[in-house]
Amino acid sequence: MNEALQPMTAVLEKIVPMVVDNSLFTFLPERSIPVAPGQFVEISIPGVGSFPVSACELVRDSRIVSCIRRTGRVTEALYNREEGDAIGLRGPFGNGFPLELFDEKDALLIAGGLGMAPLRALLHALLDDHKRSGKIVLLYGSREPGALLFYDELVELSRQGRVDVRFSVDFAETLPGPSGGVFCRIGLVSELLSDLDFVPGKTVATVCGPPALYRCVLEELALIGMSAAKIFATLERRMRCGVGECCHCVAGGHYVCKDGPVYSLEQLRCMEGAI
Amino acid sequence: MFDSAVPSSPLKQTVLDDLLISLGQNRTLWAPRTEPDGFCRLQLAREGPLPSQSTLTFIPLKKLLLPPREAVWVHRDGCFHAADEPEPFAVVGVPLCDLQAIWYLDQVFADDVPYRARRAKSLLVGMSCEPGLDCRCDGQLMPLAGDIFIGQERVWAISAAGDALLRESGFSAPVLDVPLPWPEGTAEKRQDLSGEQFYSAADASIWAEEGKRCLSCGACSVVCPTCYCFDMQDEAAVDGTVTRHRIWDNCFFAEHGEVAGGHDFRPGRANRLRFRMEHKFFGFGELRGQNSCVGCGRCRKACPVDIDLDRIAERLIGEAAS
Repeated sequence: MNEALQPMTAVLEKIVPMVVDNSLFTFLPERSIPVAPGQFVEISIPGVGSFPVSACELVRDSRIVSCIRRTGRVTEALYNREEGDAIGLRGPFGNGFPLELFDEKDALLIAGGLGMAPLRALLHALLDDHKRSGKIVLLYGSREPGALLFYDELVELSRQGRVDVRFSVDFAETLPGPSGGVFCRIGLVSELLSDLDFVPGKTVATVCGPPALYRCVLEELALIGMSAAKIFATLERRMRCGVGECCHCVAGGHYVCKDGPVYSLEQLRCMEGAI
Repeated sequence: MFDSAVPSSPLKQTVLDDLLISLGQNRTLWAPRTEPDGFCRLQLAREGPLPSQSTLTFIPLKKLLLPPREAVWVHRDGCFHAADEPEPFAVVGVPLCDLQAIWYLDQVFADDVPYRARRAKSLLVGMSCEPGLDCRCDGQLMPLAGDIFIGQERVWAISAAGDALLRESGFSAPVLDVPLPWPEGTAEKRQDLSGEQFYSAADASIWAEEGKRCLSCGACSVVCPTCYCFDMQDEAAVDGTVTRHRIWDNCFFAEHGEVAGGHDFRPGRANRLRFRMEHKFFGFGELRGQNSCVGCGRCRKACPVDIDLDRIAERLIGEAAS
């Protein structure tokens, strides 16, 4: 009835465990929908509920790939499904990352924890854009080395010189060795900024992670000299509808599901309670 | 929907009675009636006289257009199906403030298929009213929704459907261009709370004071004609059919601002009270800047601890001035 609220059937094609309680799910919906980096879809498990999740890869052959953490009732139900099962899917929702702003600029991506998932879709879009000349730097913080998502892929990109990848972890018995060719240190991801050689005026930054990450990183980037209009963050909320009606996701008068979830720091400064 | 009701036609009581009775022939007909317990509610108007003026129902009309529990889809035999079409209905005796409230909901749910389906099946007949002690309505606040308005001496078509119905019933073509009769002597005009006065007072002591008293019961939002938060809930039948319902939610409830992992963006009652006031007075999304408090006063009557958004607004205005 409500086209926006009624899902279509999608086949859960593939489940690939990543790190503990994080798996990569591939969905094949009955109709192809474009999900741009930063946009999200709502996954429905009939009889249980639904949740919003972003795509962590560019959509190819209609397939939507998401990295989903087992964190609540509905994601738990998804983890109990098997490859070949049908689920519900609707979308795409939200604005997505402003890809056009990255043209001619260096890209600074900062991820915390599961925030790496939507940023990976952006990373793939930037790598795919052969017209781009700017460099790409990825700073990625996680709890411990074993919780770093897409580790092998990121190390390989770093080794190839396509992305300057630097990790930080809260704690580690042993750090990933220099053999991986990737810098990793213990501490906050924001501390990686001090060693970074980049031109603030020539850079567009995107940050994705928990609220604590936003509070420490966004304004620090502005202090370094970046324009607040070129620093982006994507907000996490529990979107029930995705179309700007149910009010759960509202921050600073915005429906984050519809007007966002990607906002510049310039906008976020005017959005009380956003981060 | 016309932006404002304009065409009006002189009232002929007998024709009007016929019109109102004919409204109930192919649809459920509702009208307000004050009951022995003193509360006015919408009642099925199968029998008894129809009202000649409106009375504010304690439970607002939104409950018919946005049911507290409404199927949005059904999952059966591995497929998602549309929910059943709504039944047609009419409401006679809607006060002006509630017609404004429906205009507001029409904007919020402009692209919402279940809401649009219900609106398409609804006929709303407004009537003039006598303002009560809690009324603070304002004719300038926003346009009216609805189809027909019946005043003391004239009748107005508000929508094209209303216009057609009036013509069919023998009312002459629109003859006069007269503004709708807003009640005389409604309570004092409210002062406008500016965004600056509201947003600069995020730390004002009134939030802690009122937040401490607030019970988070959500009664104000239930009786508010323009509150519309919802959640989703699935119900599985014995045969495996699953129906997803849209159910009323409430921004006063503790988990309203929670996200996965347990972080809560509106953890305290003061946060939630302020959030509701922000929504009511300043709007969200495309309706940013639109005050949606139609001044009906229901929330004041419903609040068990006497929290009054107008009083909070007055204090914020006063503190900004001092």
